[in-house]
Amino acid sequence: MIQFRTLLSALQSNGVAFVIIGGVAATLHGSARVTYDLDLIYERSPDNLERIVAALKPYDPYLRGAPPGLPFKFDSETLKRGLNFTLTTTEGPIDLLGELSGIGPYDTVAQHTVEAELFGSTVHFLDIDALITSKKAAGRAKDLEAIAELETIKEERQR
Amino acid sequence: MATSAYVPLDVLSPDPVIARYKEGIDRTLIRENLRKTHEQRLLMLQQMQEFVAEVRAAGEAMRQKKA
Repeated sequence: MIQFRTLLSALQSNGVAFVIIGGVAATLHGSARVTYDLDLIYERSPDNLERIVAALKPYDPYLRGAPPGLPFKFDSETLKRGLNFTLTTTEGPIDLLGELSGIGPYDTVAQHTVEAELFGSTVHFLDIDALITSKKAAGRAKDLEAIAELETIKEERQR
Repeated sequence: MATSAYVPLDVLSPDPVIARYKEGIDRTLIRENLRKTHEQRLLMLQQMQEFVAEVRAAGEAMRQKKA
């Protein structure tokens, strides 16, 4: 389970530059599918990496699926050395992605977003066309139904 | 002279696989979701996640009881 209020409030209150993508973005567009992690594209400036660490460290981020006890240190150096991180936290799974398939890095993704008022603040999530593009680019079998649903949502909005 | 206009590729050749998947989409759920606010949609997802976790836990408990 994901504690959206806690995680998003932590990111927002620390001023993290991020965009919600993936299944949660689809939910925000009206999808009825259930997703189990929070996928974010994050900006990779040194300041933003520090902000991410400040926001998420209280929730004990650790590499999802990795055996316990690995010398994983969630700090800005680790974030700087990597790009995509699939993490577990005490508030639920969260994926931090430096780039999005079919779209690009944060600066490009940020040009294809819409706003949502969530838990008292404004967050940005991927617009529906970019979301469809990213899922097509990912090319996974499980995305076929998601793409079909997103296209159906577009049709329903135009009715 | 005919004018040319940009037409997205998907309109010219819609993906038949996606089209087939679309036939199975429950539009009533989507319509219901579109009437909700963004925050309501997210909280609904969270409730569904909690429900799935409870069902999984119940299933696991039943399997252990049988064993």
